[in-house]
Amino acid sequence: MRQRALIAIAAAAALVVAVALSLALGSRPIDLGTVWNALVDLDPEDPEQLIVRELRASRTLIGVLAGAALGVAGALMQSLTRNPFADPGLLGINAGASLAVVIALTAGLGGGFAAQVPIAFVGAGIAAVVVYAIGARGAAAGAPVRLALAGVALTALITSVTYAVLLVDDATLEQYRLWVAGSLTGRQSEDVTALVPIVLVAIAVALLASRQLQAVALGEDAARALGIRIGGIRTLTIVIVTLLAASATAAAGPLVFVGLAVPHLARALVGASLPWLLIVSALGGAALVLVCDIVGRVIAPPSEIGVGITTALIGGLIFALMARRMKVVEL
Amino acid sequence: MRVLRIGQLGVTTHRRTFAVGMLLLLVLVGLLLFALVVGKADVTVWDAVRAALGIQVGAPADFIVGQVRAPRALTAILVGAMLGLSGAVLQSLTRNPLASPDFIGITMGAGTGAVLTLWLIAASSLWITAAGAAAGALLTSALILVLAWRRVIVPLRLILAGIGVGFVAQATTQYLLTRMDVHDAGNALGWLVGSTTGRTWTHVAFAAAVLVVLVPVLLGFARALRTMEMGDDTAQALGVSVGRSRAVLAVCSVLLAAAATAVTGPIGFIALVAPALALRTTRSAGVALLPSALMGAALLLTADQASQLMPQDLQFPVGIFTAAVGAPYLLWLVWRASRGGPS
Repeated sequence: MRQRALIAIAAAAALVVAVALSLALGSRPIDLGTVWNALVDLDPEDPEQLIVRELRASRTLIGVLAGAALGVAGALMQSLTRNPFADPGLLGINAGASLAVVIALTAGLGGGFAAQVPIAFVGAGIAAVVVYAIGARGAAAGAPVRLALAGVALTALITSVTYAVLLVDDATLEQYRLWVAGSLTGRQSEDVTALVPIVLVAIAVALLASRQLQAVALGEDAARALGIRIGGIRTLTIVIVTLLAASATAAAGPLVFVGLAVPHLARALVGASLPWLLIVSALGGAALVLVCDIVGRVIAPPSEIGVGITTALIGGLIFALMARRMKVVEL
Repeated sequence: MRVLRIGQLGVTTHRRTFAVGMLLLLVLVGLLLFALVVGKADVTVWDAVRAALGIQVGAPADFIVGQVRAPRALTAILVGAMLGLSGAVLQSLTRNPLASPDFIGITMGAGTGAVLTLWLIAASSLWITAAGAAAGALLTSALILVLAWRRVIVPLRLILAGIGVGFVAQATTQYLLTRMDVHDAGNALGWLVGSTTGRTWTHVAFAAAVLVVLVPVLLGFARALRTMEMGDDTAQALGVSVGRSRAVLAVCSVLLAAAATAVTGPIGFIALVAPALALRTTRSAGVALLPSALMGAALLLTADQASQLMPQDLQFPVGIFTAAVGAPYLLWLVWRASRGGPS
């Protein structure tokens, strides 16, 4: 218990450092004193303070939001499917949200961000139900490779439909190719603040339900013996995962592997206790996305690399190394 | 069981495999005739065949059939055969019916290599793109092998490493897409979907050359491949040099996938579906290379024709068509496996 609390505090400290760096670093480095002033005592005449307040603050908020949402969504999915490779990006849920947004853009519906969010929710929800029904039930629940392949297949299908829409419509392609690279800069801060309560409520509900979900993860018989309504908990979990994954996708574009790598590392630190796993995953996910964003900002100045690309590069290698470390029987 | 003999060479084959092979060949010829004849311009069968062979028969057949329909149909056939072979070898090597070069990163790597050449050298010649695709495919395959290697290669670990590397390759492609101007990005995207439109005799010659080199090698190692399906130890005991055979076969499979991607862009699911259908129709106990190739050719040509026959608004490149048909099949495979059936 004390050790877990210490780890959670360490993760929170890492997040604070990442936030500070995210506010300070970029094409124009700004010292931390100015950053602090910009946040607590804004001087509207100072251009550096305005950069922090107008550009980097909203970008950092989006990063924290998306990272925390994906970390928690990944941890929940891994518990629900009892599968270490469950990740909203890998399983095609983010791709479902992307497709829905692309269709809406083409149809002229998704002009504003406010319209894109519910559309992304619908797309993510459909993809989540399909991949869960196919890859995560029955005898395959224990076979990580099958779930991963089901996700890859679903992603391939959704991606090719997305491409089909994009081929027809150049204007949508222009918006999509920037969005898909996962950028934290394209969104207005007031748009994203609308997502904050959704993500916070979803994470809170996940924490409240985590004991029951953990019992379900132990086995259906054990859960039933404890008097838990298994179907209800499962449905609730899928709804939360969908809300979190779609919020993250709407805010930052489709990010893969954050939901995979973060809970995996968190589990190594805090063990199987789901409430602690969720807390550490939320903090760690936020920190990871911010770090990936900072890396993309400073690696190739003056241009930037989208956070979707840096997370996939880093996460893909973590995934492959995880596969390397696994014992044969676990596959 | 029967033995086909041509001079000194003999091939043992099951009667059913032979019959299925012949049937597929007939279907393929029928499809080819259909592809040459059917279209907006009216051409008689006789004219179409002569034009495809390069005999001057006058407009419009000379151009429409000789320069458009014939190279396109032959490209589809040859690329389909390559994908079928590549998938069959990979599925046999990994002993997993879900393995296919398009899911374990090889095709994605080829795509990254090709888009990189499109970005660096804006004028896209087939050979440069092909070289880029081949280099990308080989590089990703090497990376997958290095990541999956722990004393021995466990096929499942290979698949997972491939999925991870595939995502890395895809992210790189997407990064390159953001760096291009929107016109080039549109071109690259059109290429990334996989299409047979606008393919010329140069493409056909390239594909044919690759097949002429690689198919004899594969057939030479076919027996080793079939023996290795019984397990490495058994194969070793039967005199197969497992390590060498596996390396040669894996490289052949990667090269076939890379060459196919170079010609048409990444076309998904043929490499997955063709070997499975070939196994099912021939009821062969082990890997069926030639039937897989024929099946791949027939499937891709069918998909290509079907995509052309769609109404104007729905005329998508063939790559989208194969994904729309193939992905549900893969999901069904996974679903059936999850119900405890044989995977």
